[in-house]
Amino acid sequence: MLKKTTVWLLSVMMLMMMLVAGCGGGEEKQAAGNDSQKLIVYTSMKESLIKGIVDGFKKANPGIDVDYQSAGAGKLMAKIAAERQSGKILADVIWTSEVPDFYNMKNEGILLNYKSPVEPETVNPFDDYDGSFHAARLGTLGIVINTDKIKTAPTQWSDLMGPDYNGKFGIANPALSGTSYMSVALLEKQFGWKFFEDIKANGGRIGKGSGQVIDDTASGELGAALAVDYITNAKIEKGAHLQLCYPPELLVVPSPVAIFKDSAKADAAKKFVDYLLGKEAQTLVAQQGTIPVREDVEIPAKFNLPAPKEALEKSIKIDYIEAIKTKEDTIKKFSDIMQIKQ
Amino acid sequence: MSTIKKDSGFGVAQIILLISIAILVIFVAWPVLLILFNAFFVDGNFNSTDFYNVLTEPETFQALKNSLIIASMTTIGSTIVGTFFAWLVTRTDLPYKTFMKSLFLVPFMLPSFIGALAWKMLLSPNSGYINTFFMETFGLSEPVFDIYTYYGISAVEVMYLFPFVFIQVCGALERMDPTLEESARISGAGLFTITRKITIPLVLPSIMSGALLIMLYSMAHFGTVAVLGIEQGIYNIPTLIYEKIHQSGGSFDSIRTGTVLATVLVVTAAMIIWAQQKVLSRGHYQIIGGKSFRPMELKLRGLRYPLLFFCLAYIGFTILLPTAVIFLVGGVSTYGLPLTWENLSLDNYKYILFEYEVTKDAIFNSVTLGLAAAVITMFAGVMISYVIVKMKVRGKGILEFLGMLPFSVPGSVIALGVILAWSGKFGINLYNTVWIILVAYIARYMAFSLKANSAALEQVHDSLMEASRSCGATMWQSLKDIVIPLVRPGMISAFFLIFLPALRELTVSIMLYAPTTRTIGVAIYTLNEDGETVMSTALAGIALILIVIGQMLINHFTKKVSE
Repeated sequence: MLKKTTVWLLSVMMLMMMLVAGCGGGEEKQAAGNDSQKLIVYTSMKESLIKGIVDGFKKANPGIDVDYQSAGAGKLMAKIAAERQSGKILADVIWTSEVPDFYNMKNEGILLNYKSPVEPETVNPFDDYDGSFHAARLGTLGIVINTDKIKTAPTQWSDLMGPDYNGKFGIANPALSGTSYMSVALLEKQFGWKFFEDIKANGGRIGKGSGQVIDDTASGELGAALAVDYITNAKIEKGAHLQLCYPPELLVVPSPVAIFKDSAKADAAKKFVDYLLGKEAQTLVAQQGTIPVREDVEIPAKFNLPAPKEALEKSIKIDYIEAIKTKEDTIKKFSDIMQIKQ
Repeated sequence: MSTIKKDSGFGVAQIILLISIAILVIFVAWPVLLILFNAFFVDGNFNSTDFYNVLTEPETFQALKNSLIIASMTTIGSTIVGTFFAWLVTRTDLPYKTFMKSLFLVPFMLPSFIGALAWKMLLSPNSGYINTFFMETFGLSEPVFDIYTYYGISAVEVMYLFPFVFIQVCGALERMDPTLEESARISGAGLFTITRKITIPLVLPSIMSGALLIMLYSMAHFGTVAVLGIEQGIYNIPTLIYEKIHQSGGSFDSIRTGTVLATVLVVTAAMIIWAQQKVLSRGHYQIIGGKSFRPMELKLRGLRYPLLFFCLAYIGFTILLPTAVIFLVGGVSTYGLPLTWENLSLDNYKYILFEYEVTKDAIFNSVTLGLAAAVITMFAGVMISYVIVKMKVRGKGILEFLGMLPFSVPGSVIALGVILAWSGKFGINLYNTVWIILVAYIARYMAFSLKANSAALEQVHDSLMEASRSCGATMWQSLKDIVIPLVRPGMISAFFLIFLPALRELTVSIMLYAPTTRTIGVAIYTLNEDGETVMSTALAGIALILIVIGQMLINHFTKKVSE
């Protein structure tokens, strides 16, 4: 039924697609072969943030090749645990937003102690800083609203219990997203479990990952959601009908970066951490609409964000060691209140 | 005489038998055994109370129930849809019947998780394009249909699974001896009586076996439930296993829960397969094949064109609409913008194809994995089928039993099994490499290859082989020169039966992928999970193009072979 030429054309197309893929795969194979020369970064930062930073780092350090894996913090930790069981952690550097994980890893002794020379220039949110990990970003969470569905921007957390948000407000599943877990812990610290009970009573919903609740808000599936700053800003940049609002009790979640003790490329990893804390990388961080860890980096005014020190002062404080102990209970309590499983 | 027999008998036949058994044991039986072992044994001691406890935990019990509910609804729906369309294209005078018949096989091409993504965009309660259209146009306050429900999930599965029933029933209706119906007619029975007393009993085994196939598939199906269910808390067994494995930091407790759930799947699958065998063996003698009479056709009269229109509308609604949505949403800059010309561009496609590193890896991985799995499984399949169908050696019974296994082991079970078997506990550690996915693919698709190859081998008469042997050819020679050329069509169709599904595989690879070993299915799924909706649909669009091209090539080549 098919003409000969059509078949020929199709075959060529298929071949070309395989070739395109083949080239990419070829490089990949090589990379896997020369494992020791590639720095591997596991991060929960999305493509829009990590890619620019890695590209900048490569430019500044031409000899070092970097590969990164971007996934939710929970998934990355599961991966690391599995890798530890099989003997070797593939990653050299880890950068996520789940602070308790870093305290856990520090206690287990798998992190390299490295006091970066750049550290004194930064705003450090950790009182017990000892070089195990550095804050590389002060992530914030706000209320993102779909401007077509909700006309008046919220100013207080209690606005979420109002009729505008009935059945429309979503929170990412804290079991899946590190940032979401931290924000749940912070809100619980400030307002108690009643906050979530009230949200549930007002028809609050659970989304999947921290990125998906924002897309669901953009599409109108949700009217509003608890959202991570830079992911939201990237979508606003592309034209999504969204607005990010910050109630006065600020949710600040530092994103620590650490080097694994077993890393065979510790020198390259140290350079990466130095670069990440430096002015160039932090400027990229600020341009994505998230708070940098340096006072000497300007945050574009359109994001409406406070400077690092001010942000830390306004933020809800939490004892991270305590938060580790209660993590499982917190997630369970939250799941029970929000009735995640049917 | 007896010495010669012994020589050739042991030298080749026994070796082939042993290799065949070894392949099935290593790839299929051992992983499954490990699952059963881990489900019932804790620290080497038999422990059934733990098994019971895990099973009765509200979470796991609910997942079991959900799996059953979704699978039952999907099965009933697919059976009705599949049987109706099969009857329409074989027993009525519907216009363009042959064309319509091939059209109804198209849903096979669309991976159901991509279909689920599309339906999520069309029918999510507050933002789905269909729902908002009706709500805005007619001022409805409630959405028309909520896709995030048992009904929604089952409906999507029906759309893409009903061809299983359709093919089986079409085959049965075409093979059925029309004289049976004619004799009833001559004896004065009306159409209704004939249908009730002759036709339905005759095709019932085929309907049942197609239905059971769907039940088996749906019970162990990951994609649709993962896309439409998880967010609303609807988990089935594979999605719960996935969540357990991925979020527990690989602790043994969660793997154990996984093995218990997997055991339930294996047992259910075995029961389904057993029921299918029962149904088929009971119905087998009733259908007399080989006669080429045209079965009588029901005159649809005035309904001819309305029914044709209905069929076309069905295809348009279940295939064209979702595909169009995938391509359109893949073109908007960010999800949620209306689908207007100024919002559409090819930027996402460009980004996905040329800049996004994962795409290259994913396409490369899926294509090479598909090719490797297809080639290996094709050759292994032909060898094993040869032993089962043709050879008379002692110990064949073991192989026949082992040969049944691949049919009854669902994908998520295989994935869990290979994790247990190949992550270093037994000396070889393939975890986090592409090889573990290959091992799992071989186990998963062995059934396809066995089926196609044994069907081809059954048509090769023993006398051909005997003739060549009596002319002095060795066993290898006669295999090479007589058997292989004759079963080549079977082998080629086995190759394609494996290559295409492997290209879009999700259930197995989602459990086994590592940073650099994402397959196309995994890349689409993780993009969607990370909230990169437009990017994931753009990649899904590209995947669909690849699949359609592949399918067209297959149609072309298999046509050549069958000519």
